[in-house]
Amino acid sequence: MTTMNKSLIHLLLVCCGTGCVANGAREVYQALKDNLTSDDKAVLAATTSARATGCHGLCAQGPFVRILPEDITYCRVKAADIPEIVEKTLKQGEVVKRLLFRDRQKKALVQGQNDIPFYRRQTRVALRNVGLIDPSSLQDYLERGGYRALEKSLLDMRPEQVIEEIIKSGLRGRGGGGFPAGLKWKACAATPAQPRYIICNGDEGDPGAFMDESIMEGDPHSVLEGMIIAAYAVGASTGFIYVRDEYAQSVASLQKAIEEAENHGFLGENILGSGLDFDIEIVRGGGAFVCGEETALIASIEGHVGEPWDKYVFPSEKGLWGQPTIINNVETWANIPVIMERGASWFTSLGTEGSKGTKVFSLVGKVANTGLVEVPMGTTLREIIFDIGGGVPQGRKFKAVQTGGPSGGCIPAELLDLKLDFDSLSQAGSMMGSGGLIVMDDRTCMVEVARYYLSFLAGESCGKCVPCREGIKCLLEILTRICHGQGEIEDLELMEDIAETMQQASLCALGRTASNPVLSTLRYFREEYLEHIEGQRCPAGICRELSEFWIDPAICTGCGLCLPRCPAEGIKGEKKQAHRIESDKCICCGECIDSCSFQAIKVK
Amino acid sequence: MSEQECEENIEGFRRIIYGFPGEKRYIIAIMHELSRCYRYLPRAALELTAEYVGVPFSQVYSMATFYRAFSLQPRGRVNFKVCDGTTCHIKGSNILLDEIYKNLGIGPGETTADREFSLETVNCIGACAIAPALLVNERVYPRVNAAALKEIIKEYRGGGDNDHHE
Amino acid sequence: MKLIIDGKAFNAYPGDSILDVARREGIAIPTLCYHEAFGGQGSCRLCTVEVTAGGRSRLVASCTYPVSEGIEVKTSTPAVEKIRRNIIMVLYKRASGSVLMQKLYREYGCSENSLGEKQEERCIVCRLCVLACEKMGTSAISTVMRGIDKRVGTPYDQAATACIGCAACAHICPTGAIEVLDSGNIRTIWNKNFNLINCERCGQPFATREEIDYVSRRSGIEDAELCFCEECRRKKLVGKMQGFSPC
Repeated sequence: MTTMNKSLIHLLLVCCGTGCVANGAREVYQALKDNLTSDDKAVLAATTSARATGCHGLCAQGPFVRILPEDITYCRVKAADIPEIVEKTLKQGEVVKRLLFRDRQKKALVQGQNDIPFYRRQTRVALRNVGLIDPSSLQDYLERGGYRALEKSLLDMRPEQVIEEIIKSGLRGRGGGGFPAGLKWKACAATPAQPRYIICNGDEGDPGAFMDESIMEGDPHSVLEGMIIAAYAVGASTGFIYVRDEYAQSVASLQKAIEEAENHGFLGENILGSGLDFDIEIVRGGGAFVCGEETALIASIEGHVGEPWDKYVFPSEKGLWGQPTIINNVETWANIPVIMERGASWFTSLGTEGSKGTKVFSLVGKVANTGLVEVPMGTTLREIIFDIGGGVPQGRKFKAVQTGGPSGGCIPAELLDLKLDFDSLSQAGSMMGSGGLIVMDDRTCMVEVARYYLSFLAGESCGKCVPCREGIKCLLEILTRICHGQGEIEDLELMEDIAETMQQASLCALGRTASNPVLSTLRYFREEYLEHIEGQRCPAGICRELSEFWIDPAICTGCGLCLPRCPAEGIKGEKKQAHRIESDKCICCGECIDSCSFQAIKVK
Repeated sequence: MSEQECEENIEGFRRIIYGFPGEKRYIIAIMHELSRCYRYLPRAALELTAEYVGVPFSQVYSMATFYRAFSLQPRGRVNFKVCDGTTCHIKGSNILLDEIYKNLGIGPGETTADREFSLETVNCIGACAIAPALLVNERVYPRVNAAALKEIIKEYRGGGDNDHHE
Repeated sequence: MKLIIDGKAFNAYPGDSILDVARREGIAIPTLCYHEAFGGQGSCRLCTVEVTAGGRSRLVASCTYPVSEGIEVKTSTPAVEKIRRNIIMVLYKRASGSVLMQKLYREYGCSENSLGEKQEERCIVCRLCVLACEKMGTSAISTVMRGIDKRVGTPYDQAATACIGCAACAHICPTGAIEVLDSGNIRTIWNKNFNLINCERCGQPFATREEIDYVSRRSGIEDAELCFCEECRRKKLVGKMQGFSPC
């Protein structure tokens, strides 16, 4: 819609996701409310409502103000812009062009959110309400069809039918493992012991992943609704949501949602008159990545250190306090109500043979449009990174994308046409994980990336089993040595040998996948390891001992931009004359490379 | 929470700890509340927690050292958390650490002698789209570089309390 | 329940782990973190075996894997042996100061490699000491930290109020990593000093004051009854039964 109709009631959606809040979204929202309620705009106050919503997804361009029904999306809005938006857009029906999204490829301004390339190719299922509703308003959720699936499940279906529907949908756990959710439910329902528990795993710990955070913050009722449906299906009376310690806003949002759901009879005794009693409690994590592992999470809820145990008997039979327990992650829960409402056959129409539905990815790193994207399973990496993400910025070259978090793997440019689903990713030596996609350019050293992940895991492993604890330690030492130019060629085989034992013998999934970063980089970037060991050079210019920068005098224009950026004062040269780097001063921080518009600074 | 409510003595500890049911599964919640009040876990408070929930002290201590959210050392009034998640890492979080060291003389896990500033690294705060990110107390600062960092330190120095608690 | 281990059929009780059956039947599976008093922990993974169940083969820790009807177990395959050798190899790097680890390192034929500097610790973090202390009811020690820094210690690494100096931890430790120093009538363990009590019969120091008080408190047996070393207590018991008192 391009014309404005002044008689319509305006709805303004202000993104208050974590990224936008850091960029001042709360101040924007406050300014908007102040402007709407000030006296001379009483008419506006009556016809316009402003909503603080969850994450709109395209965090790189935030804070956003989206105006409905016209669908005008303003990007990078500051509180100071609000009077102009109110005056021009709301009162006079004019668009403030300078705040519109700029499509760099087409060199055009884009007005509607759905016309922004980043959104155009998305299919929002798990994120269906995120960014549209005020997460603190049950009314908003109900208006979007919320709790209709619950009503249908509880009042029109038997528990077995609900389970059957979820099995038919082929929904696989979105937390990493990809285990079919319906089968977990079935196993739980088939175990005679009572009581039974429902757990939502909100301990999203993968660096670079924040999709669960955005759902918990932006659409908490969808998670609750999924859990209540499961409680009915398997006969559970208590649920827990284990939220990652760092996510204070998620806790607040969920807490509010639980209270509202209780007040309206969606939680508590005799829900919707069906006879189901179900309560949900929030448990705040203590800050441990390993607690994303089901059994460690359970141990943590029980009040122990978060150490996993062998899952030869699944939690669906013996979980929390030894009782049958269903544990699924946030995104999985958010999918349940849609599946129940629209039916398994609708859900299976999305996705690939082995992976149905959509997946939310957090697209971050060296990519132009960073943020959250939801696409059908089977979408290629190329579509996500280039069509949606806008490619690698600053004219640099795409090198790899890390999927699946610290225990995932790095996928090279040759595999950009890989259709993303659970199976294709594990075949490529990586994994879906919770859906982090970290884009790396040619200024990323793959050996250093592997070292980084192992150092992360060294601190995050629980330390219980030997292959994981000691294996990580050995790999980390070897990788650190290679990064310092002290690697030996035998190291590569030794790492592969240890990595294999870690995969086969570790206790939990963290340990079994901890060597993936090493194995996948060895598989796709072995040359780079050899450069470090035999060539004594780091082609990306990251490992300090192995890097040397120089300025190509044929390219350098002597513009002087890099000079003040060098923290070591190691660049010399007259204006309009080619500059040079004094290698004894250079600390290889790369500031100059990033500042150079001519790509004149090279790595030896 | 006011200073008075957070008196660092056995009375203060009791007020917090006895506010929870005396069960093992509330240990982490108790620790969160203690941390919020005292910016660390005082030993006597942990001992009282162990006694209250009926768990050996060694196990409570084990948990306090296992979970990253807790510190056994007092943190500074202003706590800097440099995000070292993957995105922030490849976008230069180590430069922030270097800068903080240069300006305040503290490394990760350390507190300045005047207990004003402390520094730790955290594993991804979910703000990857605005990396590198810095968390000061509860406030997130986006896309921090060396110059911005100097400003931030200045902002908080000398009793400036820019806590934007909602 | 029936299962097959290395080609032979055996019977198992419900709740048995593979290792339980193997131990009962005298089939050797190496372990480091296992003790029959506590059951399987699944932490050292040296007891890894290959299991075929429902047509699917996998490598599992035999100490925690519950036996189910008809499974087939292979305790020594090339994959299993390789895992064990690598476990010893990486563990030796941490605890090359332990005689047991030195012996295993040789036995498993771990080749010299570029794993770099070895640490001369003795502790392999098998946690048997923690379990022993828990079993005593004292729980003076626990694991502390996590990840590659995980270790065993007392709170704040200081003398623990709960410690009674019984040294059960040191007795169960497979690598002799816990130091107990008995010097005259003083025992030092976990940074705490204890007075040793002499046996009323033979005069040898045999237990700490705290240990005797603790046992007396827990069992209701008078202190006086507990003032004998194990050897003399046995003799005393035997004496009683035979109707005369040697004390």
